[in-house]
This record gives sequence, C-alpha cells and structure tokens, in this order.
Amino acid sequence: MLNYAAQRLIQAFVAMFGVLTIVFIVMHLSGDPTLLLVPQDASAEMIAELRHQLGFDRPVWVQYLDYLYGLLHLDFGVSVVQRVPALDIVASRLPYTIQLAAGALVVAIGFGIPAGIVMATMRGSVIERILTAIVVTGQSVPTFLSGILLIFIFGVTLRWLPTSGSGEFSALIMPSIALGALSMSTFARMTRISIIDELGKDYVRAGRARGLSLGSVVVRHVLRNAAIPVITIAALEIGNLLAGAVIIETVFAWPGIGQLAIQSIQSRDFMIVQVIVLLISFVYVLTSVLADFVYALVDPRIRLVR
Amino acid sequence: MDVAANPLLSVDRLTIDIAGAHVVDEVSFTVAPGKVIALVGESGCGKSLTSYAMLGLLPPAARRTEGRIMLENVDLAVISERRFRKVRGKDISIIFQEPSASLDPLTTVGEQIAEAYRVHHGVSKTEAFEKARQMLVDVGIPDPGRRMYQYPFELSGGMCQRIMISIALICGPRVLIADEPTTALDVTIQAQILDLMKKLVAERGTAIVLITHDMGVVADIADDVAVMYAGRIAEIAPVHALFREPKHPYTALLLASVPKLDDAPKADLATIEGMVPNPSEFGVGCRFADRCPLATDKCRLEQPSLVDCGNGHRSACWHIDRLAEIRKVAT
Ligand SMILES: Nc1ncnc2c1ncn2[C@@H]1O[C@H](COP(=O)(O)OP(=O)(O)O)[C@@H](O)[C@H]1O
Ligand SMILES: [Mg+2]
Repeated sequence: MLNYAAQRLIQAFVAMFGVLTIVFIVMHLSGDPTLLLVPQDASAEMIAELRHQLGFDRPVWVQYLDYLYGLLHLDFGVSVVQRVPALDIVASRLPYTIQLAAGALVVAIGFGIPAGIVMATMRGSVIERILTAIVVTGQSVPTFLSGILLIFIFGVTLRWLPTSGSGEFSALIMPSIALGALSMSTFARMTRISIIDELGKDYVRAGRARGLSLGSVVVRHVLRNAAIPVITIAALEIGNLLAGAVIIETVFAWPGIGQLAIQSIQSRDFMIVQVIVLLISFVYVLTSVLADFVYALVDPRIRLVR
Repeated sequence: MDVAANPLLSVDRLTIDIAGAHVVDEVSFTVAPGKVIALVGESGCGKSLTSYAMLGLLPPAARRTEGRIMLENVDLAVISERRFRKVRGKDISIIFQEPSASLDPLTTVGEQIAEAYRVHHGVSKTEAFEKARQMLVDVGIPDPGRRMYQYPFELSGGMCQRIMISIALICGPRVLIADEPTTALDVTIQAQILDLMKKLVAERGTAIVLITHDMGVVADIADDVAVMYAGRIAEIAPVHALFREPKHPYTALLLASVPKLDDAPKADLATIEGMVPNPSEFGVGCRFADRCPLATDKCRLEQPSLVDCGNGHRSACWHIDRLAEIRKVAT
C-alpha cells in the first residue's frame, strides 16, 4: 500500500513537472514572449525595456530555471495589464469557479449516478425511458446552447431565475445545470454500463442463490464493484468541469476564472492565462491521484497487494 | 431405483425454452435424503439450466414452459419469488464451477458466509460471524480465524470452493446442487473437495445433485446417474447398473472410452465422433441419431421416450435390444 501510494505520488509529480515544462515551452515557442505581453501598438523601446525587465533577454535555460524557481515560491509573474501578481488576480476569482464547479458536480453526480442505477436495474420500464431521454439530451446539446436555452426559458420567459451575475444561490442554479449536464450524462451512462456489466457476473447469481433479493445483492455487492470505473470518470470530469467553465461563465456573466481566462486572452495578459492553465492542469493531476487513493480504499486487490 | 419410494426432491418433465427451442426437454429425476444423483452430459446439454431452474434463477432468456420441481410437497416451479427466496440457501443450495468468480471480490469471505446465515436467521452480526467461523472448521479450512478476514483473491481455487461449500451448507439445506464443482480445480484438490462432499452427505443426510462430465467422479460418489444428451435424459439408472450394462448407445460409447472403471478417473465425453446439435437444429427424431451407430429411419422420425428396463433402469432408445453390437465394437 505504501509502495502504491509512493508510486502514485511520484507519477503525479512527474506529470505536473511535464505540464510546467510544456507551458514554458509554449510560452517561448513563438520566440520572444515579450511580444505576447505588450499591447499591439507598443514602440520598440517599450518592448526592449519590458523584455529586459522580465528577463526575456537571458538564455532560455536560465529563464527556465528562473521560472521553476519562481513557481517554487508561488511567484507566477505579474499581470502586465493590472500590474499586480497574476496569482492574486486568479485567486480573487477562484471562489466563484469553485462554487460553480461544485454546483455542477452536485448536478452531475447527484442526478447522474442515481439515474444510472435506475437505468441499469429497471430495464424496460417507463422511468428508464424517461431517464434515457434526459441523458441523451444532456449529452448531445452543446454547453453554450443549453446555457442560452435555460436563460431564455427560466430567465427571460418564466422569470424564475436571474439570467446572470452571482451572489445569490438562485443565480447559481442555471449555470450549474448547464455546466453539469454533460458530466451528468457521462456519469449516468458509465454507472449504467458498469452495473449492467456487474449484474452479469457469477457472484450476483451466487448471492441470490443464498437467499438475497436482487435488490440486496445490488446494494451490498454490485454497487461497490460498479463504482470502480465510475471513480475514474469522476476524476476526469472534475477537470473537464473547470475547462467547461470557460464557456458557461461567459454565457452567464459569472465572474470566475473561466471568464477571467477569456478576458485575459483578449487583453493579451498571458501571465494570467498561464496561471489558469497551470491551475487546471494541477486539478487534473490532483484528482487523478485522489482517484487512485479511492481505488485503494474500495478495492482490497490494490490495497493489499501493490 | 429405491429412491423413488421417498424422494426429497423430484423434478418432473421439466422443460425450458430458449428462443423457442426446448434446450431442456422433459427432464425428470428424483433424489432421496443422503443420496447423490449425478447429471452427466457434454457441455451445452442443459445441465446448468436444469440446476438454475431448481433455484428459480433461470437467465432472462430462458423460460420454464412445463414441468414441476417438487421439494417434498411444494412445487417450486410455481411459488412466488418472495417465497422462493426463503428456499434458496436454506432448503436448496448450490455451488458453482467457478468458485472464485462466485464470490464478491470486494467483500471478505467471512462476511459472505455470515451473510448467508443472516439472510435466513435473525441473529446479530457477531453471532453469524461465529457461526461462519465454525463452518470453516467443518469444511477443513486451517486457521479459520485469519481466513475469515481474507478476500477471495487471497485464496486458491480449492480454498474458494470450500468457502462456497460453507456458504451453501451454513443453513443446513436438505438439497445441495453442485454444478461441476471440481472442473476448474487441480486434480489433487478435486479429490479433496469430492471427499469433503461425500463426508457431508454422510454426516448430514444432505441430498446432492451433482453435475459433472467426469465419469470417474460419477463412479466415485453417485448413487444414481442421469445421462443427458441435448437437453433430454438418455438414460437414468443406479450407478452400478449403468456402468455394468448401459442401455443407451450414448452411454455405451461414453463408457467405452473409459476402459476400466477403477483406474480411469478421467473420461472425456467429447471422444464420440460428431457434435451435439444446436438447440435450433433439434429435429423431430432422437437427438442422438446423427452420431449413433445404431440409428435407423425410425430414430430420425420419432423421438424415443424413457422405457423401463427393470430395477429402476430406464433408457430412451428404440434399439435397446441391439446394444450388444456397440459393446462389441467398443472392445
Ligand atoms: N443465458 C443464456 N442465453 C442463451 N442461451 C443459453 C443461456 N444459457 C444457456 N444457454 C444455452 O442453453 C443450452 C444449455 O446450456 P447449459 O445448461 O449451460 O449447458 P451445460 O451446463 O450442460 O453445459 C446451451 O445450448 C446454451 O447455449
Ligand atoms: Mg454448465
């Protein structure tokens, strides 16, 4: 188990290091990153000065080490537009995105997993068909479209919910649904497939043969076994939600890091973009490590052997 | 067959359909307390479906269309699922061919045995756990205190089968169905598991329906044998009568591939030329006709029913009187 944990942590560390390096390479790919950071109409002197100021006139490997050294000290550079540390700006927007992602995750897991369980165990029923319709819709309507549709129906026509902004709980509902819809479908489909797969296994028949009802076998044995592939999906989906937030936050004027990313790209504030990219990558790596630990909790074959 | 006098379980003209074909067709047999009946036959002849039907656990594709399954005087074929649940594991238990796959990989074996007890008895977890530990002692598992907390993947196939036997017997069922219980195990382990089963029948008077395709196992442990072919019983008899003088060409050919009873524990049923027909190709005649050296036109046109040949020996063949021809060919 210790061995397994150490392995996962080392892998995560290597992955994160790879991400840092790739981000650095991308920033320097176009040659001189100074050009990415200045307004389009900047004069040659301004560019030269900024280049020197940011250290971009030094050899690339010195810059790379300097970049890593900075990251170690949580120094992610300064926003060229606002002249404050990029990290502070991102940090001020982060709580909104966390709220939104949490809301979306509640929608995705809270609806998706029970829906998957029902779809797998009540095959052929009316409720299964209704759920299938919902899941297919969630999966096939693009995020920006479902956002606009929700605004149109519940915000503009019915006037039940605010169309944009943040602050009240009611403002969180529509963006959460719009953002969570796709993940919800993924969770429902994975849960369904995984349970159906488990239901065909010998231990289910054996469980019923000792007198358990099918329902008891599902609750006591099948769900836990079926959870293993769903955990993998959960880890990926959390990262996907952050990526999806870029669109949803724009549609709903939600002041999180997704909206910030778009604004920063538009104003060529690449230090901020860099922080956001690193942050999302970090979340992907972190959730996949967490998933590996949850596996070990659920599955003795991992916990006791490796 | 003396068991007919006082059967505990009697299956009567059981017929199971899959996609319109009778994959199990008018199967009848009985078993008395403390006796072992073996169902033998090539893979795909309907042995497992027959056993699942006895537990009311047929797969969704399969449907019992006819027949009764009498446990003393209760017809299991018609009772509700709710009532059947009280029978499973308590009156009739089963062990399967793949013991490791039959256990939940994420639950300790101790919990799974205790669960089998608690389903039928309203006792505390601790009490059920103690009962389970005692059961492990009975099936000869060393160091039961530690084994209780192990997971299936930590145990060998033979060990898992002992766990399955513990689960099957913890409520003291009157009938144990064993569906190829040793097929997936090493030869030495096979013998141990069979010995264990023999011992349990003797001690507890459990009736056993043993499904196998190993004639050596049949000779070793069965009292009666039903030879199945393509969903039907070809021949059914007390074990000695069947081995001494088979009354069906299929049985005769099977036994011909076992030169002497005692020194050939492994007979391969697939040594007869030709293949078992697919259920979709079952014709109107005898299902064995295509592979039978005695087959005539009558065999291809008319299905033979089981005929009593005396002493509880019954065979479904139009040419019982010509069986000497096969015995000659075989030797
Ligand atoms: N779930 C199922 N769906 C469709 N056909 C099945 C199913 N289970 C068994 N069968 C068919 O029924 C026949 C009998 O199968 P089975 O009882 O498993 O045979 P045996 O146990 O003697 O090897 C075979 O032809 C098999 O293909
Ligand atoms: Mg079988």
